[in-house]
Amino acid sequence: MSKNISALSGRKGLEEGLFEKIGQLTEAEGFLSKEAAQQLADEYLIGDASVYGASTFYDFTRPENKGKKVYVCNGTACLCAGTQEGLRQALSQHFKAEEIGEMCCLGRCHENHAFYYDGHNYSGKDAVKKLFGNGQAATAHQDHYHFGAAGAGIIAGATYTPEQCRSIVEKLLDTPAEEVLEQIKSSGLRGRGGAGFPIGIKLEGCRKAPATPKFIVCNADEGDPGSYSDRFVLEQRPHAMLLGMLIAGYVTGADRGVVYLRYEYPESIQVNQQAIASLRNAGLLGNDILGSGFNFEIKVVKARGAYICGEETALLSSLEGQRPEVRVRPPYPVNYGLFGKPTVVNNVETLANLPWILTRGGAAFAATGRGRSTGTKLLSLDSAFNKPGVYEVDMGTPLAEVVHQLGGGFRKAVKALHIGGPLGGLVPIHKIDDLTVDFESFAQNGFLLGHASVVAVPEDYPMVAYLEHLFAFTAHESCGKCFPCRIGSVRGKELLQKAQQEDFKIDRQLFEDLLFTLKSGSLCALGGGMPLPVYNALEYFEEELKAYFTEGK
Amino acid sequence: MQIAGKTTGELKTQVATANTALINGKPFTIEPGETILQFIRRYKGAQYVPTLCDAPNLEPFGSCRVCSVEVGRLGNGTHLKTVASCHTPVEEGMMIYTDSPPIQRLRRNILELVLTDHPLDCLTCEVNGNCELQDVAAKVGIRKVRYPEGEVHTDREKDLSHPYMTADLSKCIMCYRCVRACDEVQGQFVLGVSGRGFDNKIIMGLDGSFQESDCVSCGACSQACPTSAIHDVYQSKANFGQDKVRTTCTYCGVGCQLEVNVKGDQIYSIRAPYNAEVNQGHTCLKGRYAFRFYNHPDRLKYPMIRKNGQLERVSWEEAYDYIAERLMAIKEKYGPDAIAGISSARTTNEENYLMQKMIRAVIGTNNIDGCARVCHSPTALGMQRTFGTGAATNSIEDLKYTDCIMVIGANPTAAHPVTGAKIKQKAMKGTPLIVIDPRRTEIAKYAKHHLQLRPGTNVAVLDMMMYYIISEGLYDADFVSQRTEGFEDFKKGVLNINLDELERVSGVPREEVRAAAITYATANAAMCFHGLGVTEHYQGTYAVMLIADLAMLTGNVGKRGCGVNPLRGQNNVQGMADMGVQPYQGAGYLPVENPQVIKQFEQFYGRKMPTKSGYTIPQMYNAALDGKLKALWLTGEDVVQSDPNTARVIKALQALDLLVVQEIFETETTKYAHVVLPGASFLEKEGTFTNGERRIQRVQKVVEPIGESKPDGQIYVEMMNRLGYPQAPYSAKTALEEISQIVPFFAGVKWEELGDNGKQWPVKPDGTDTKVLHTESFKLGKGRLLFEDFVETSEILDHQKDYPFILTTNRVLEHYNAGTMTRRTPNAKLVHEDILLINPLDAANNGISDGDLVRVESARGYVHVPAKLTDEVKPGILSSTFHFPDIMINLVTSDVHDSIADCPEYKVVCVRIKKV
Repeated sequence: MSKNISALSGRKGLEEGLFEKIGQLTEAEGFLSKEAAQQLADEYLIGDASVYGASTFYDFTRPENKGKKVYVCNGTACLCAGTQEGLRQALSQHFKAEEIGEMCCLGRCHENHAFYYDGHNYSGKDAVKKLFGNGQAATAHQDHYHFGAAGAGIIAGATYTPEQCRSIVEKLLDTPAEEVLEQIKSSGLRGRGGAGFPIGIKLEGCRKAPATPKFIVCNADEGDPGSYSDRFVLEQRPHAMLLGMLIAGYVTGADRGVVYLRYEYPESIQVNQQAIASLRNAGLLGNDILGSGFNFEIKVVKARGAYICGEETALLSSLEGQRPEVRVRPPYPVNYGLFGKPTVVNNVETLANLPWILTRGGAAFAATGRGRSTGTKLLSLDSAFNKPGVYEVDMGTPLAEVVHQLGGGFRKAVKALHIGGPLGGLVPIHKIDDLTVDFESFAQNGFLLGHASVVAVPEDYPMVAYLEHLFAFTAHESCGKCFPCRIGSVRGKELLQKAQQEDFKIDRQLFEDLLFTLKSGSLCALGGGMPLPVYNALEYFEEELKAYFTEGK
Repeated sequence: MQIAGKTTGELKTQVATANTALINGKPFTIEPGETILQFIRRYKGAQYVPTLCDAPNLEPFGSCRVCSVEVGRLGNGTHLKTVASCHTPVEEGMMIYTDSPPIQRLRRNILELVLTDHPLDCLTCEVNGNCELQDVAAKVGIRKVRYPEGEVHTDREKDLSHPYMTADLSKCIMCYRCVRACDEVQGQFVLGVSGRGFDNKIIMGLDGSFQESDCVSCGACSQACPTSAIHDVYQSKANFGQDKVRTTCTYCGVGCQLEVNVKGDQIYSIRAPYNAEVNQGHTCLKGRYAFRFYNHPDRLKYPMIRKNGQLERVSWEEAYDYIAERLMAIKEKYGPDAIAGISSARTTNEENYLMQKMIRAVIGTNNIDGCARVCHSPTALGMQRTFGTGAATNSIEDLKYTDCIMVIGANPTAAHPVTGAKIKQKAMKGTPLIVIDPRRTEIAKYAKHHLQLRPGTNVAVLDMMMYYIISEGLYDADFVSQRTEGFEDFKKGVLNINLDELERVSGVPREEVRAAAITYATANAAMCFHGLGVTEHYQGTYAVMLIADLAMLTGNVGKRGCGVNPLRGQNNVQGMADMGVQPYQGAGYLPVENPQVIKQFEQFYGRKMPTKSGYTIPQMYNAALDGKLKALWLTGEDVVQSDPNTARVIKALQALDLLVVQEIFETETTKYAHVVLPGASFLEKEGTFTNGERRIQRVQKVVEPIGESKPDGQIYVEMMNRLGYPQAPYSAKTALEEISQIVPFFAGVKWEELGDNGKQWPVKPDGTDTKVLHTESFKLGKGRLLFEDFVETSEILDHQKDYPFILTTNRVLEHYNAGTMTRRTPNAKLVHEDILLINPLDAANNGISDGDLVRVESARGYVHVPAKLTDEVKPGILSSTFHFPDIMINLVTSDVHDSIADCPEYKVVCVRIKKV
């Protein structure tokens, strides 16, 4: 992270954001030309190396992206479903090989066969046929997945009409900021992005930070392959999330909000831009909202394809037009965030809870859930379930209820559930009954609730290949800043590949050293978290895996 | 839980006192805000915790994780957490384990991973034995790499495109130290990183070579790199088994400390010491790389006397005899005032002191002057008249405390690169910067206010600023009433200015001036820097006085982070004046016509002293042309190339009966010398230089003088003895002892007490030095507010009609003044000619394209210069440099001088242009 680039980029601010400029100048050819990099460098008073270097980081601005027309999802759910090879073949009838790229992931885990073409996502068995069939241009595919709620249904109910939006804002503006903060703190709401950090503490820290301006950043870069619950909120409950940002702005004194929204969710971007416009037209965003003197504006910034941007400090660097590499902490974003200014970064689902807390009170929220996990949680189930979709349950609900009742059980033989994204735990089927949907239950059992996406690993999917996939994913997405993750992820991938391809057994001590190094040495949760599912696999699938390792243990 | 053989339970009991933390079980006092790494290093030394991505002058980065330690916190049971010590703050009661088995395991495994992608060719690597990776690998005990062969980056090609910088990224460990140094130290962003994850790669510019990039060759990346991945042609990290000698840079007035690697009589390379208060591990390309002039074949190696029109080698004895004989004859025939000396800001304090002593006490005249005449004489005079002391009021480190920076008539990133980089760093991070300069200099791009005035109108703009400050009540009334005098008259003058006229003549809209004035006046502490763009004008001294007025008016004197800070051009131009190289002030600025002072000098020097002020340099030329000056002894200055109106300077030199030039190279000036004496370069002698913030720093001998050359001080001493004045042999120590007895502000200066970072004068007899001047009162008692209205220079009045363009001259980063030294280094490969900056509109109107040769003609003469089209200059304004004798830009510069201090007006030259 460069303080200089933060400050220089901040001179232009969000209105002429360097990151957005890089993206815009990339649209035509798929990558940032060196001339364009030079031009931006001159305009922003930074180095050509800084701009060019940033552009080469992202999947959809790097030179390798040149000429790509269609992108095949290579996320975990599509991988486990085994649909993508066929999809690729289908697409190759319409595109040259060099025009087909990859994306991870499109959040179409409920039906797979997912691909991105010309600003839209498609999925399902016959999507290619429908899109290109009979020479007729098909309309954008309509998306169908189950949604259901058991319990309080906080997000489920957050379908706010324009009148409800207005009354939420009126209530907000009638309530002193300290009191709103108290309600949020007493709700016990913890971040839904994976880390589970109490949002009230962040808001309070930012509120106390002396510098201005302040920013509210919504982390809508739902990068965990296999998760699409944020996509549900973004597309089906956008007002709840946007009003959540407004509430956070009111509490902290921030007047700008940014939704950093993934490139891989083009429909979500549209929906949110429309929702913002509707709120603005209703006088609920902008200057002097409802005559209160409070200003708040929200902008959607389209991400450009990098999993690490789900990490909040990388996201902030990305927004500044720097390479999205993880920053050291302290300083924390609440004191030194976007452009070096106090910033709260929160996940989509977390923010979407705030209007409910505002209207019903923190105590009511805290009454739902279990222990220190208050409120509800969205889970997304992939296509291995009979009823794939997004479900909201109260924290503390038995996992078995989600799997068997809401999800309707499995449509094929499954040996493990990978819950909480690639850094989440790998839960063997027999442990499902031991778990309840809350942070503590998962942690106590050696797993991680994380963002609560659920990807089923089929019985016939080799665990060694699954581990290779996890290492390969980490290697692909590592920002490369810290040594353990940058090198370790590649070496792990290579060991697992070699063990499958050759007469080679992985030195068990070496592999454990590697996992230990990643876990205790990495700068952020990517390198630090990826050993968890590997440890789980080594523990619960030893029989299957031992052939690939040297004797011992 | 077992930690390093002891249980944490036992260790916990040792936390007894508040404000401490435990390092491996022993309590130590913590300091607020420090990291665990800083805390440990404070007690255990720099090597105690191994690191790779950490560097002394860079922000914590946290990439290598090698500095990881385990920490436990009180009340958290025996739970230990692994954290990177470099960016984790230490906390009271923290239990830190620096070397527990898990930490040893972690470090070993990180290093093993690093070595999977690093060539294992240590024995043939040029940094073998001085490689941080090698050291850390040895320290953590890595023996072998267990991973099977995998993907690597060890086949990357070397970049040998640049005269100084080299890259071999196959050796890169991706610690980013080079990228961070380029950003955080130099502020250039030439280096970056491309790709993602394992494919991350250091890039130069747009992934090209060093040569193609915008690299300013400061070498910060090379010094920062822990391996040989980024390096320099001098292999500054190679372990040649050299000695390391610390000395002070010979180039600009920043006064960087250098660490010279030497073995025998061979200098290998130069690095910047991290503990240098002036430069904290940084230098520019001149300081770090442009040292190879010292043994260049062109070095003068023996004395020469002109015989039959040719300079011929002679012995020192013959040269001394020749000079002594002629000086005596001239003195006999025309009196001592027919003899003059020009001393050199490139030489040490001790040498300058001896030179002026030789001229004054031995020859018997005050005809002694130096290059300050043509650069900062107006600064010395203007600040003496307002404050009483002609030197920077504050220190460069005050940049840490300032809230507003104003830079007038200076281009510090080129001419004072290390200070320039510091200013740029502040400006980039948001400290409001005001730049008053006709050119859009590098720092002007980062400025909040750039007042791009017409050359020659500083006084107009400064008056306008003060008009707004006074008329809008933004001045510091308390400071004005308690610390200054003359406010009422001053105010009257300021409020009477003709705003319309000043706005017109300066070309700066009044609203812009007003906005800048408000920024300056409302800052808690505003710090002003100025350069030759202020002084080298008809109204140079007045402009300096107005800068001083502005500072006093707003209370910006006598505290941290403010003041008036001239960026002194040459390494020792401050010291030269301090030592008395001025025709009207002797050592310690004592006025030479004051009877008290004359008596004091006579007593001290034991000779009858002259009673009249002597000639300034321009007066010397006049006197020579008038036949009044017959002999000139000139040390270390190429006046033919660097003084204005070259043709006239040459005529003056040709009129002399005796011209002695003491130099390290033949120059344009030695062409007219009767005697040439070979001096020793700064690497070959000892003494002290005083930098622009009054810091007296040691110059230490690194190698023996080349050939028969001698330290300038020794030449003066030998000459003084030859002329019958007993002077002790030259040594820094003995000379400083003498100086400390006559120069009041050197009273406490002792050679052996100067240490690594010198002392800032005034130095009290007990040795205490001074960072900020005028904290309680001025030398004059109260500061004097002196108003001066704008007056147009006669250059414009007389010549603008026929010569409609204004040429202003300045310097580039790569070359130093007349280029005598830098042209004899690979810097000449980076910039090999003077060029003419011209606005594209003017170029188009005159049919000039990039690279075209342009005839630039003034009332004095003409030169041919290749054009470069740029919007750095406004239409009507041209800019060039004077580094190369092939062009001799001073053939066109004028005879106008500062109306008081006699400094030439290099900055306003009326010319006309024509494509050749």
